[in-house]
Formats: sequence, C-alpha cells, structure tokens
Amino acid sequence: MAASRSHLAKTPRQTTKNTKSRSTKNRKATSRSSRISYQARYRRKRPMLRALVPIALIVVVLVTFVIIKGTDGSSTATPTASKVVAGRTGSIASITGATPLPAGVLSDTTSVSPATLAAIGLSNTSAALTSTGIKKTLIASDDKPEVLFISAEYCPFCAAQRWPLVIALSRFGSFNGLSATHSSTNDVYPDTKTLSFYGSTYTSSDLNFTSVELQTNQVSGNSYTTLQTPTSAEKAILSKYDAAPFTSQPGSIPFLDVANKYVSIGSGYTPQLLQGLSLKQIASQLNNKDSPVATAIDGEANRIVAAITAATGAKPLAGTDASASLSGS
Amino acid sequence: MTVPRRSALPRWIIPASLGLSILAVGLTAYLTVTHYADAAALACPNTGIINCTAVTTSSWSEILGVPVALIGLLWAFGMTALNSPWAWRSPARWIDMARLVASAAGAVMVIYLVYVELFRVAAICLWCTGVHLTAVALFAATLVARQLERPVPK
Repeated sequence: MAASRSHLAKTPRQTTKNTKSRSTKNRKATSRSSRISYQARYRRKRPMLRALVPIALIVVVLVTFVIIKGTDGSSTATPTASKVVAGRTGSIASITGATPLPAGVLSDTTSVSPATLAAIGLSNTSAALTSTGIKKTLIASDDKPEVLFISAEYCPFCAAQRWPLVIALSRFGSFNGLSATHSSTNDVYPDTKTLSFYGSTYTSSDLNFTSVELQTNQVSGNSYTTLQTPTSAEKAILSKYDAAPFTSQPGSIPFLDVANKYVSIGSGYTPQLLQGLSLKQIASQLNNKDSPVATAIDGEANRIVAAITAATGAKPLAGTDASASLSGS
Repeated sequence: MTVPRRSALPRWIIPASLGLSILAVGLTAYLTVTHYADAAALACPNTGIINCTAVTTSSWSEILGVPVALIGLLWAFGMTALNSPWAWRSPARWIDMARLVASAAGAVMVIYLVYVELFRVAAICLWCTGVHLTAVALFAATLVARQLERPVPK
C-alpha cells in the first residue's frame, strides 16, 4: 500500500514532468521554427545583393572615371625635374599642374603663317615693348643674345603673354617639351589656358631663351608652390628693369627682357580675351586674321619679333616685317 | 514577436572595421602632418600620373580653407569611435545610423576626390588612394555587416 501510495504518489509527478517536458520541447521547437522562419524572412527582406549595390555603383563610377581619363590622352606625366632647363636652381621637388598639349595646339601656335602675321601687323589691342636705352646687349653663357622671361604659372597675365612669346620665338628657333597649363582658378581671369615653358627647351642659332617660372598654379598656404628661383644675375635684371621708369609697379610679372634693350612688363593684351577658351580653341584661331584672339596675340607676337630683331639683329626665319612692327613701340 | 535591438554580429566585423579605421587614421594623420610641414616631403614616387605633391598642394587640397587631409583625419577618428567594440555592441540605434551615414559620406567624398585627382589636378596621390580604398572598404563592411547581422526574436 505504501508502495502503492508511493506509486500512486509518484505517478502524477511523472505525468506532470512529462507534460512539462513535452511542452518545453514544443516551445523550443516552435521558437526554433519561428526564429528560422523570421531569419528566412529577414534575409529575403534584406538580401545581400542590396548591400552590395552601393559598392558596385561606387566601383562603376570610379572605373568610369579611369576609362574617361585613359581615353582623353591627358593622363601622362607632368614635366619632371630632369627636364628643367639647364642652369635653373628652382625647387625641383615642386611640381606644376602642367599636362601634355592636346594634339594640334603646338603646331597651330608655332606655325602661324607669315601672311596672317603680316595681315594683322600691329593691333590696337597689343602693347608695345619699352626701349631701355641700353646699348650693351645681354649675352647668355652660350654667347647668344638672351631673351629672359620671368613669370609664374598661377598668373593670368603671364598666361596671356606666353602665347605671343611662343609665336614670336618660333620665328627664330624651335621649342621642345612645351606643355599645357592654366592660371590660378582663384585669381582674376581664372583658369586662363596657356602653354608652360617649365620643362621645355628652346633651340635657336641666333637667340638664347631663358624662362623662369617662379611659382606653380598650385596653392600652398597663402601663396603658390615655388617652382624656379631666379639666379642672382636675373634678380639684378629684375631689380633694374622691372622698376621705374619702366613700370609703375616694380616687381610685376610677367617680365620680358629682350637682351636688356627692350622690356615688357605685364601682358600685351587683356587675358579677358581668352576667358572660357580651351587651348584648342585659342590655338585654332591664331591663323585667322579676323579673329579678335588672333589680332591680340599675333599683334603682340609681331611686336616681340620686332623687338628681338631690333635688339639682336636676328632675322625671323620667315615672314614678319620687323621694322614695321617695331614702329609701334 | 519583437526583434531585439542588438543581435549576433559577424565575428569579423569588429576587428575588420576597427582595423580599417585605425589604418585610415594613420594615413590621414601622415597626410595632415605633411600638409602643414612640407608637402613635398611625402614619401611618394613622381612617375607619370603618380604625383602626391601635385595633389596635396593643389588648390583642391583645401575645402573652405580646411585641408582635406585634416577633414579626413577627423572623419577617421570618428569612424574609429563608431567601429569600436563598444559602439558595435551598443543597443543605441543612432550609433548604427551614424556609422552608416559617416561611412557613406566617406565613400561619396572618395568619388569627388578621385574626380579632382584625375580631371582637375591630373595626378594621383598614392597615400590618398590608400585612404580612398580604406573608406570604400569601411562603407562596404558597414553595409555587409548590416545584412549579416542576425536578428534573434525573443
């Protein structure tokens, strides 16, 4: 009986335990099923693909950039320090924002037809070079008369003046390694497109051309990155001729010295003429005598050619009537 | 059924995101220091389109007068905090949102900066590229972690 009571007493507890066990198992199973079901729904709701779409878009955009850059032909090197004109003591670690010239720009600029130059002659939009009255010709180390150009790549007036200077000097020799650059985007006449002398060489049997690009168009602090430093001789020339009475603003650039006999301070025409124009758009107008851009640039080139001829006796390879051009100075 | 705020994270997410964030801090700190000290001193080859100095001294190296490198450093510090173990395990919803927004902002900034490098400066800065890759990887990690996070119903 006791056993029976015991048995009887035990049976309900076992029954309760079994019931609880089944209930727990059922709840766990239900919970597991619910969790799996929820996770499945969650994964369906937030598929991994959706997470990767933004990343894929970013990759596509970046790859597109690279492809566009790779096909526009301007992804090659900027001029390197090794190309700096011999004798320069500039900060060769500093780098310009120069890029290779687009196709056709160099040939359009260095081969303006003598007929166009003659037709344009002296224009009202170009300025004359100033005679220094000095008799002694500035001679470079290679015993040739020296044309010295001191400018900076950020400077829009320098950007404007390089165009006629390249045209003029191309009448006496040839350039190698000219590149494309532009004036500062933060200055007046922002982003004026131009050619860069930095890293180029000039060959002529009659002239020595030396250019000093003082600074790049790359902002550094409150100024621009130093590119080249004038020699003491060049500083002396600047002190003497980039001053009164040749200019009311001593030390201004661009400064062009033709063998110490003629100087030009500032641009010969307003950079406004070049605003919004690409290198190709500027270069392609240079042979059009009816173009205002050509009138200004070619007219200034004629004046420079005339000054070179008058100062050095060098004759243009073909074309311009130097004496006629100089009469405006 | 309710879903708890914090659930099982993929095991790799904390070390990966924290490691990337610390790497970004290192890279941007280096760029910031050289920006103020001597940009030309950046250890970077100058071959072809690779030219760190041209990029870090360009007019686009500052936004409203603030160096981009410094902006990147501040962003990297922020990402490091948001990717700390504490932040990942925090149930605060705003932390997840802040992490997502910050990493997305970093990725958008990468697109802008790569555009500037390729089309305005015409040069690529290797150190900047390192930061760009890190930023995109952080954005990817954030997005993937959100998808892999296992919600556990109560």
